[in-house]
Amino acid sequence: MKENKDKNQQEYQELQLSADEKSILDQLGIFGKSRRRFLGQSSAAGLSLMATQFIPIDKVFGQETVPSTPPVPFKNAVDVSFSINTKTQQLTVDSRMTLLDALRERLQLTGTKKGCDHGQCGACTLLVDGKRVLSCLTLAASCEGKEVTSIEGLAENSELHPMQKAFIKNDGFQCGYCTPGQICSSVALMDEAKNGDASYVTEDIMNISENLTLSDEEVRERMSGNICRCGAYPNIVAAIQEVHQGRETDYNWQES
Amino acid sequence: MAEITENMIKSKDNLGAPENRIEGFLKVTGKAKYAAEFSVPNVLYGFPVRSTIAAGTMTDIDTAEAEKAEGVVKVFTHKNAMKFNPAPDVESTNKMTMPKSVLNTTAINSFGQYIGFVVAETFEQARYAANLVKATYQETDPKIDFDKYVDTAYKPDNANGAATDTQRGSMEEGMSNASKTLDITYQTPIEVHNPMEPHATIAVFEGDALTVYDATQMLGPSKVAISNTFNIPQEKIRVLAPYIGGGFGSKLRAWDHVMLTIMAAKMLDKPVKTAITRQMMQTNAGLRQLNRQHMRIGTSTDGKLTAMSHEVMTHTAVDEVFVEQAGFITRTMYDTPNQLVTHRVFDTNIQVPTWMRAPGETPGSFALECTMDEMADQLQMDPIAFRIKNEPKTNPLDGKPFSSRSLVQCMQVGADKFGWSKRKQEPRQNTKDNWLVGYGMAAASRAAPYQESSSRVKLSYGDDGLEAVIEMAATDIGTGTYTIIAQTAANCLDIPVDRVAVNIGDSDLPATPGSGGSWGAGSFTSAVDAVCEKAKSALKNKITSDSSALTTADELMKAAKLTEFEMEATEGPSEDSKKYAHFSYGAHFVEVWVDEDLGMVKIPRVLSTSAVGTVLNQKTARSQVVGGIVWGIGQAMTEETTLDKRYGSYVTRTFADYHVPVNLDVGDIEVHFIPEEDEHINRMGVKGIGELGITSVAAAIANAIYNATGKRMRTLPITPAKLVDYEKQPVA
Amino acid sequence: MRPFTYTKTEDTAQATSKLAANENAKYLAGGTNLLDLMKEDVERPDELVDIGLLDLTDIKETSTGVSLGAMAKNTETANHPLVRKNFPMLSLAILAGASGQIRNMATNGGNPNQRTRCAYFFDTAMPCNKREPGTGCGALEGQNHMHAIFGWNENCVAVHPSDMCIALAALDATVTIADGNGKTRTIPFTEYHRLPGDQPERDNNLERGELITSIEIPKNNFAKNSYYVKVRDRSSYAFALISVGAGLELQGKTIKNARIAMGGVAHKPWRAYEAEQFLKGKEATEENFEAAADAEMANAKTLEHNAFKVPLGKQAMVRALNVALSGEKV
Repeated sequence: MKENKDKNQQEYQELQLSADEKSILDQLGIFGKSRRRFLGQSSAAGLSLMATQFIPIDKVFGQETVPSTPPVPFKNAVDVSFSINTKTQQLTVDSRMTLLDALRERLQLTGTKKGCDHGQCGACTLLVDGKRVLSCLTLAASCEGKEVTSIEGLAENSELHPMQKAFIKNDGFQCGYCTPGQICSSVALMDEAKNGDASYVTEDIMNISENLTLSDEEVRERMSGNICRCGAYPNIVAAIQEVHQGRETDYNWQES
Repeated sequence: MAEITENMIKSKDNLGAPENRIEGFLKVTGKAKYAAEFSVPNVLYGFPVRSTIAAGTMTDIDTAEAEKAEGVVKVFTHKNAMKFNPAPDVESTNKMTMPKSVLNTTAINSFGQYIGFVVAETFEQARYAANLVKATYQETDPKIDFDKYVDTAYKPDNANGAATDTQRGSMEEGMSNASKTLDITYQTPIEVHNPMEPHATIAVFEGDALTVYDATQMLGPSKVAISNTFNIPQEKIRVLAPYIGGGFGSKLRAWDHVMLTIMAAKMLDKPVKTAITRQMMQTNAGLRQLNRQHMRIGTSTDGKLTAMSHEVMTHTAVDEVFVEQAGFITRTMYDTPNQLVTHRVFDTNIQVPTWMRAPGETPGSFALECTMDEMADQLQMDPIAFRIKNEPKTNPLDGKPFSSRSLVQCMQVGADKFGWSKRKQEPRQNTKDNWLVGYGMAAASRAAPYQESSSRVKLSYGDDGLEAVIEMAATDIGTGTYTIIAQTAANCLDIPVDRVAVNIGDSDLPATPGSGGSWGAGSFTSAVDAVCEKAKSALKNKITSDSSALTTADELMKAAKLTEFEMEATEGPSEDSKKYAHFSYGAHFVEVWVDEDLGMVKIPRVLSTSAVGTVLNQKTARSQVVGGIVWGIGQAMTEETTLDKRYGSYVTRTFADYHVPVNLDVGDIEVHFIPEEDEHINRMGVKGIGELGITSVAAAIANAIYNATGKRMRTLPITPAKLVDYEKQPVA
Repeated sequence: MRPFTYTKTEDTAQATSKLAANENAKYLAGGTNLLDLMKEDVERPDELVDIGLLDLTDIKETSTGVSLGAMAKNTETANHPLVRKNFPMLSLAILAGASGQIRNMATNGGNPNQRTRCAYFFDTAMPCNKREPGTGCGALEGQNHMHAIFGWNENCVAVHPSDMCIALAALDATVTIADGNGKTRTIPFTEYHRLPGDQPERDNNLERGELITSIEIPKNNFAKNSYYVKVRDRSSYAFALISVGAGLELQGKTIKNARIAMGGVAHKPWRAYEAEQFLKGKEATEENFEAAADAEMANAKTLEHNAFKVPLGKQAMVRALNVALSGEKV
């Protein structure tokens, strides 16, 4: 395996790649040209094509981000306009519609997950005006003028966010369903640490400075609003600490 | 099936690398599509209506208001549901494939049972209208209370396919010959899987062809269940599940919402989508039974077992029997001349239990491994030494040799790495501030079933060489299926992993046994390896010149002058493998800190060893064990479904009440794989991992809590209430 | 969730008049509890007035102490220097509740109005006097390990779920309330919430149309010696089985004043007056803490599944006082 890696590394260096492609390949640990072939398009959609693993593409990515119109005018319709991943969206929504359902059912942004719909699992976590919140307990109607960032908006110019890379590297997920919420939560957590926000396990709550270095215990407490039923918690903490402290976890892999 | 011969045993030199998940970037970017997320034009939204009683008869159901509500397309009840006519020759004992008609009765057998189904233009409309459906009932006293109905227990036909009762020698003799005896009852509660992705189904008919996007661990059996239920030919049904948000057994069978959704799509001739709620996940998607486990154990003064019994009492549904084989582990773990293992069950108005991560072993290992710890304590013997003393040479259940059994190494290596020697035998000897510190261990074993599976390989040339596509109706429920398939194919075909594309999650592809029972990894990769080898052999046969020096797929393709080649193969258990007993083994070591005054427990450290044969990917395999340990922490400390005995309603209705562990509940976890080659189980030498990880963790934690506090916690979960009010804790 | 009209306003008077005009209208602030309950069909408003934009977000020093704006988020409040320095018990209590995401949404005005977590209240198939007066109390003889040991009666055994409010009760906060006629009134925080009495459907003394505009905390000398301990069925993101907020004002080793409130024990934040009374003027010792806790717990009345709350309540109170005395956690 190691030999292959070296060989591929070499191949990779010989390739004439665009900057975009290079950064993507770097992050993904993908070196072979055959993968590159799929990367002709550097858009998110192009990226995802690569690993849809041949489920008919039109079924997987049909109608992406094209807002669908409601089938009938609602009795309690509300017009709302907000920014989602820097793009302004105007929607007419049922007053009962949550931000979560607006993204998933109307904007085909299904990265934000519905795990409980009652604020008890964190799978629907995304950023509104830079803060992590639960989209299942946010009415779409109340989002007028807000800036929403979902998991689909974290990668910039096809470059994965460092947290996304760290989750892949540290295997911070298994089934992947809680993952967008975990990552959005982790990204916000980095800002909270910078701000010097406290948690219940913070040692000295009266004297707290900015740019906190969070212990593992601190990370665990602050990430406890994101349930992972697969039990990837130690790997999630490792991923966050890699981004937060630059600390790489030694997993003691057996030599294979 | 081909016999495995010496030279067919796979070289595993290129396997095991901790590759990142090949689908990982789809998951971290939100691009992996789960069942409810497929975009189907003009899809309608389904929302089930649930019974508000647990037992009785529905006398009427009023849908008038619901039908008038905005956006409602149709309200289904028993009055207008499809009349199901399953084919008469359909086998109805296989729970994964048996027909499951819905809304065809007024009998209410459990709380939350689906009594109606609203279909509307939007999710908000469907959910609201479901609340407008009003049923009236003739209630009967629901059978819920364990102690009240335990006397009605009977002997089931089997315990999840295993023998209901087994006996060896005489318990009475073994106990009377013993110098030390214990007689203890343990209890594990009802638990619910609660995968993060709630079950969801989209049903789309195009003419008479049905496509189902479903959150299922089992593509083939789901297809058969649908076929049997609706009398639709299997070839007209396609089930798709490229990504599944966890399963843990709850997505092994197609529950009623699948059939409700398909029925509505069929009757309305429109696509319908149903994602059940977290509340329905508690009441309508299976559970693990409460198991009351009576243990008796006798030993000589030097710690040799003379007798051991494990008698399990549990419950099932009034309309379907499922019995978890909780006593099974005791049949195979230790050597004892006298043994009795029994399972009894009684009917309740609680929904039917089902498989949940390591069915049998999870509750059973808690009773067995706590019993072993309690006896070691009586004997003043080290718990590891006590276990080694009773290590069997062959499987005590049937006398078959073990295909591999590295339990002793697991315990010894684990003890060494954990620092077990620092443990004090006497409890309450180790303190730190407000905490009592304790060490505990438990040994683990999990049956390693291996099943027949098919696979297809497609070889072709891309820009920089040979590429392969592997196709099979396998599923990845977070276990790493995508990645280990790619690694296995790359290993066999001598191409880089990133030149293998993996196409799974589609029932139209070659059949596999799906993901369950820890057989996925071994079954899938054995098929992949077999098909790649078969392709290479076939290529060799096409080569007219001397091909003896050619080894790689690329060389063979070029010599055969082919640019494309396709092959399909099926691989399954060999005659040789059937001569052996197959189990994975492990050991868990746990450090706990107990705050006795507040009843709070911290688990700062768990170290586990696992012997699972070939490890295909160190990274994903480790994650499987870590996940199992987290489940064990949940089982030990937090998880319990409680029902109201009077109403049969669920007190743990949601994630706020059913406590799965959160990040702060889990400390450092260290996993070590014991190098092991199993030459008998399958051509890859792969045993199961995912269920071994959970097995015995709760026992190790309870044993550690005893070491910390001197308190034996025999009824799970170990809550603050039980620790603080120890004297009054419920005794089973 | 039933259909409702959605409006928003930036004007407090307009908000209160809308609520005064429609008895089925509700304020929408953070929404973390209201939307949850609307999805469960427990709360059934036909009009939501979004007050998220009201200019009530200030956290500021006043002549008597600190004023917390009703629309300030829980996170901002817990982390505000004025709160951290002067009332660390409140910071800790807020941070002990829910999750980071929920605290980013929940407001100071909304938190006191969150409703009980009793499963019988949430389940519309079950009897509940709080949800549907006259149907009985499902928890009284049902599963009640989360339920009250103080102040309950057969009408209702539910407990108030907030952590923040436990600290506010201990700290002698007051609540400023605006009504629909442009008037305001102030009531002590300990009198904001109610015991079930014969109106268990009423959690608090807010009248129709009224709106909390701010919460005032008077200056005190407890900061250095205070703590909030919370015991729950998992280590985080769970409601309290028992929680205790405790503050000590010391003169040497003598307790000049003690402030203690408990959560998870009653239909309202339970101010432990008996324990406070006992400690006043006594030496700060473990023995006295235990005796004080015994004095408080002597009045406990348990249900089938919550007897553990008596020893746990005592031990949690002693722990809170011990940590407060040590001054280590804050």
